[in-house]
Amino acid sequence: MLRAYAEYWRINFLTLLEYRANFVMWFVFTIVYHGVALGALWVTMRQFPSMNGWAFREMFFLYALWMAGHELHNTLFFTVVSVPDYVREGRFDRFLVRPLDTLFQVLTVPQQIVPDGLILGLATLAVATVAANVRVDWIFMVFVPLIILGGALIDLGISLVVATCSFWFVRVDTIRWVVMSLEQDFTRYPISIYTRGVRIVLAFVLPFAFMNYFPATFFLQKTEVALHLNPAVGLLTPAIGLAWLGAAYGFWLVGLRHYQGTGS
Amino acid sequence: MNLEPYVEFAKKAFSREATYRIEVLMEIGSLVLRVYILRALWTALYAQNAAPTNLPLHSMITYATIAMLMSLILEVDGTRLIREKIREGTIATDLMKPISVPLYFFSDGFGQTLLHALLVIPSLLCALLLVHIDVAPPATFAAFLLAFVIGYGVNFFLNFLMNCIAFWTLETFAAQLIVRWVSDLLSGQVIPLTLFPGILGRIVFALPFAAIYSTPLLIYVGVIPPDQWAASILAQLLWLVLFAALSSLVWRAASNRVIVQGG
Repeated sequence: MLRAYAEYWRINFLTLLEYRANFVMWFVFTIVYHGVALGALWVTMRQFPSMNGWAFREMFFLYALWMAGHELHNTLFFTVVSVPDYVREGRFDRFLVRPLDTLFQVLTVPQQIVPDGLILGLATLAVATVAANVRVDWIFMVFVPLIILGGALIDLGISLVVATCSFWFVRVDTIRWVVMSLEQDFTRYPISIYTRGVRIVLAFVLPFAFMNYFPATFFLQKTEVALHLNPAVGLLTPAIGLAWLGAAYGFWLVGLRHYQGTGS
Repeated sequence: MNLEPYVEFAKKAFSREATYRIEVLMEIGSLVLRVYILRALWTALYAQNAAPTNLPLHSMITYATIAMLMSLILEVDGTRLIREKIREGTIATDLMKPISVPLYFFSDGFGQTLLHALLVIPSLLCALLLVHIDVAPPATFAAFLLAFVIGYGVNFFLNFLMNCIAFWTLETFAAQLIVRWVSDLLSGQVIPLTLFPGILGRIVFALPFAAIYSTPLLIYVGVIPPDQWAASILAQLLWLVLFAALSSLVWRAASNRVIVQGG
């Protein structure tokens, strides 16, 4: 299975080299997408320099952590987002009759993947790390890659839950769009600005706070952490990611058992 | 000119949109959550920083909430149909029909918009559970409505122009989203344009995007005082006329080179 996966990425990479013009267009696309979000934040924080004790450069680091995890998800796992389309068009059924894990097959659907977001995400994180004066020591070097991966797994869990919903309701485009835009909105600010109930949801139910807030409070050495947790919980992101993905995968398996197809 | 067919187009579009009931409910739900975020955000920012003199916290929350309600109407891209019809090639038969095709697109978009406009009322009621909104005096409200209608027109032509790109290249999706995001920021939907510092502030107010959200909203919250209403609305009208003229030029050029995709 690993060999098949490596081969899949080799082919993706070769395809990418064929379409260089497209590559540039997607770069602009991603830069504008994140640029608008960061631009709005920058303008706002020129007038209001402190957000619950966070300065703009710290907010930038918070955003960059989320961006890196989110873009890693978009690069590695984006085909999960297309599952509702496969279901609606009846193309999903062929995954079920092949002798390989269904999710693995979904993750290796041939497609044109442009890693523009991932490249930009990592570059933004590097810039933000310098801008926010984060100390780059061995803990940073070991944990930040793991935290990005954990963030991507949290995102994958969410995509998987939305995809699984499509086994029951055929049209989930709106749910998908709403979840994606709310994720970006909620993760943009320190969760300490929200009321207690929402903080608990973001920490333990839909653990978006582990994608960026908790790791950022650890690396920025913030003394005040929402929900009075120890700042070191920020290092738990990879474990939370795995656990959350495990739960989502369980839901996916339940969904598969209920799956009946649309008859199309 | 006989307007009857266009009323029918609008009615059709209205009932087509009304079939997606769950989507409609989700739209209200997500709006309420975003109102919650904006309340948390601005409350936190105003609690720890000096407030701008012309926009106290209650005005800012009013501004942001009404901007969100307006986006229910303005984010509907009624002219998406142009792109779809070009891709499928059916634009050719539309051009042969004895109707004004741009007006057909407008009435279709308007019908879709009307359904979403109905959502404003339940969304407003839900939002009021979370935030307090300033009620504008009747004259201010009337000026706001007028500016909003003109802004709707500018937004319509902007979408129309973006969708017309599809006549030249079929890959318009990315370009369109880019313009949409940039316009969200520069139109004052995300944050009031008064927050932009110095020269940036002067630039964003001079751009056409300001006519879409910023002018009506700043009239509503009183940043644009009554003695400047006429000037602001006149500036909006200028953009409207300019965009309409540009659209009609582009449309004439475009319909001369319909490429049927063999749909």
